[in-house]
Amino acid sequence: MQTKNLLKAGILGLVLVTTFILGWEGYWRSKGYVATYNDDKVLWANKRHEAYQSKEKATVFIGSSRIKFDLDIPTWESITGEKAVQLALVGTSPRLLLEDLANDKNFKGKLVMDVTEVLFFSDAPFVNKSSREAIGFYHKQTPSEKLSSLVDFALESKLTFLEESRFSLTSLSNEIPIQNRPGVFVFPSFPKSFSWTTYDRQTYMPDIFLSDTNAIKGVTGVWAMLGSDPTPAVDGNALTQIFKEVKTNIDKIRSRGGKVILVRTPSSGPFAMGEAMKYPKEKYWNQLVAYTQSEGLHYQDNPVTKVLTCPEWSHLAPKDAVTYTEQLVQSLEQKGWFSTDEVTHNTLTN
Amino acid sequence: MLFNSYTFIVFFIVILILHSMRFAWKVKKINLLIASYIFYAAWNPPFVLLLWLSTTVDFFVGRALYNEDNKRKRKLLLVISLIGNLGMLSFFKYGGFILDNFVTMVNALGFNYHPANPGIILPAGISFYTFTTLCYTIDMYKKESQPVKSILDFSLFVTFFPHLVAGPIVRPNQLVPQFQSPKKATRHQLVNGLFLLSLGLFMKVVMADTFLAGPADTVFTAQNSLLPLDAWMGVLAFSGQIFFDFAGYSTCAIGVAMCLGFTLPQNFRFPYAASGFSDFWRRWHMTLSAWLRDYLYIPLGGNRKGSVRTYVNLMLTMLLGGLWHGASWTFVVWGALHGIYLCAERWIQQIRNKTQLQTPHYIPAVAEGKQAARASMVPSFFTNLFTNQFVKMLFVFFFVTIAWVFFRSADFATAWRLLSSMFGRVNNGAALLPTLDIIKVSVITVALLGTHWLMRQSSVADLIKKINWKLLGIVWAVMVILLVLSQKSSDSFIYFQF
Repeated sequence: MQTKNLLKAGILGLVLVTTFILGWEGYWRSKGYVATYNDDKVLWANKRHEAYQSKEKATVFIGSSRIKFDLDIPTWESITGEKAVQLALVGTSPRLLLEDLANDKNFKGKLVMDVTEVLFFSDAPFVNKSSREAIGFYHKQTPSEKLSSLVDFALESKLTFLEESRFSLTSLSNEIPIQNRPGVFVFPSFPKSFSWTTYDRQTYMPDIFLSDTNAIKGVTGVWAMLGSDPTPAVDGNALTQIFKEVKTNIDKIRSRGGKVILVRTPSSGPFAMGEAMKYPKEKYWNQLVAYTQSEGLHYQDNPVTKVLTCPEWSHLAPKDAVTYTEQLVQSLEQKGWFSTDEVTHNTLTN
Repeated sequence: MLFNSYTFIVFFIVILILHSMRFAWKVKKINLLIASYIFYAAWNPPFVLLLWLSTTVDFFVGRALYNEDNKRKRKLLLVISLIGNLGMLSFFKYGGFILDNFVTMVNALGFNYHPANPGIILPAGISFYTFTTLCYTIDMYKKESQPVKSILDFSLFVTFFPHLVAGPIVRPNQLVPQFQSPKKATRHQLVNGLFLLSLGLFMKVVMADTFLAGPADTVFTAQNSLLPLDAWMGVLAFSGQIFFDFAGYSTCAIGVAMCLGFTLPQNFRFPYAASGFSDFWRRWHMTLSAWLRDYLYIPLGGNRKGSVRTYVNLMLTMLLGGLWHGASWTFVVWGALHGIYLCAERWIQQIRNKTQLQTPHYIPAVAEGKQAARASMVPSFFTNLFTNQFVKMLFVFFFVTIAWVFFRSADFATAWRLLSSMFGRVNNGAALLPTLDIIKVSVITVALLGTHWLMRQSSVADLIKKINWKLLGIVWAVMVILLVLSQKSSDSFIYFQF
């Protein structure tokens, strides 16, 4: 091919690609989507670097998805004047995250650990997959990967279609309704509008989700399916081992002058009923708090948070997240969380 | 630094700008050298020291080898270079493997020895740049080419970032002469290079990582036996993934070098169209095959020392080729399988040659009508089937795919479990892959084989020359759009670990 024709092909390609990108971005924006961040190991690693801030300046949060929705970071930061470092990971147990911080001698700060029993007390491989990947990525991140992430964040802050879990080729192709063979398990997809994430790793449900009853049903359908898992809850020696492991890691942080507190964020409806049946509060939450000699803030023990309702049974809507955060700050203040002294360990509730 | 990263895009734009500015050629070469070190250091900065060590030792030892006439001193210098290069490779790549095998052996002998894990990190691309520098010192020892006069040119030859971490493995005479006079990409080279870069990234990010890595990983990490359909789909997915991943990297490397005005050797030529196993190795990772042929197989004696020795040399070459890919016995078995394939092919070829030599004796028989009787025993359909190039291609692809099972499996237990599943030797195998994955793997495998078959005598460069510019523009756009849509569902190149 002549140089001229090759150049013409290149220009045609460039025009088509540019047209597509503009059209694709415009299409999703017209559907109500905005630019959000990929809630992945890269963003997690970026925040993990912030965990070393002093006790006076920041509190680190670990847990599963609930604390990501329920802690309203702007509210937290405006009331406390402290940074909230959100290190919770969706769909994982925080135990590996706790272990990572416990074994990191440079971490001497304040840590709030959210407990979602169905994930916290599970050792199923998928429960630790994301946390293992994120921790591994953080510790092995190359200079090139760090620089790439900065370019990536800059692009994600401007372009809606760069949200991988919603708009990537894999996510889009997974939406094709094709029947699977009997015995093949495929984790159900959440509705595209369900969870949005900011640069601070604050996750929230947007209005286009909250006003869409079909989308809400889509999420409750996933919880109902997961809730039908017949695997019995961990018990006996295995449960004691978990308590021991958690206590060992909490003690490591405390021995360096750090503070740790446990929280249980709200759940509602059939999901909450299922959790209460499978993981009774007295046997799991109360025992965990007592064994680890920690303070615990359970949403049911606070008259305000007790009545909060999760629209899709498991996470709070943004306005309720503000209420929950205000209550959390108040309870933590009572425990001396924001003073330089140790947290008192004489009560189990707030 | 990975080609499929935002860092590389920024890095490459800066390099293109610097390379197109009106600096002296020496300054441009220094720019490229510094850029190459940055490219490497962006992965793990301390390992740049290894590159410097390897470069310096081989530059001076190479020159001394060429100028030295004393045989003993020459051998000593060669040994120094070999110890330096292979010693470094052995420590970083095979240290853990050797220790593991030693521990297994002494424990089998009754000693209770359990050392701590040495935790050696493998420097990216060490196998590639070690082979690059090794061939230089061996050439100097044999006095087959002139030593490189400038350490700048030699450093750039070893470190030139497009080929540094995963090839193509370049020879001094392929690259060093290109550094001797100013090089700047023509407009044609620049656009062509950008097309190849897009094609390579499309192969890696879209085909290998987005479409094929998932089903391959799911099947190769399954803990239970599978239904034959699932096992085959996983293995076929890996056959496609490894090709798109590695050929994608080579295509990117060639394209990037072309954008700067340099030419790197071709590394893949539609390998799944191979009509034989030796043909496969003339098409797959061509620069490694040529390296192993020139610096291992031929020095071992090649086919010059009799039939038995030829088979031994073939097996040794492929066993070491397998070990070069990874410090694990599964890679050795992969190499051994290819060695057996090559030996079997050679043996059959020898028998056929003998038969053909005897053919004149049959000519009178044909005249007497005896050929008809022979033909009735071996139907012509059957004879044609096995001489049909397409059937040969499928035959080779089948055996190459079987060998990939050992290449990808973490251990022999996984490999045996998968092979048993593939050939229906298990009861109650599980269905694992979603229907969408089965469709993706099937469509891509058929398209891959079809493309390789149609392009077997051609090249991408030929195709670009023939194709209408509008069609090329549309194809290019589709590739880039799919690349954009694939987003971050991409990972390191598989061959980085080698």
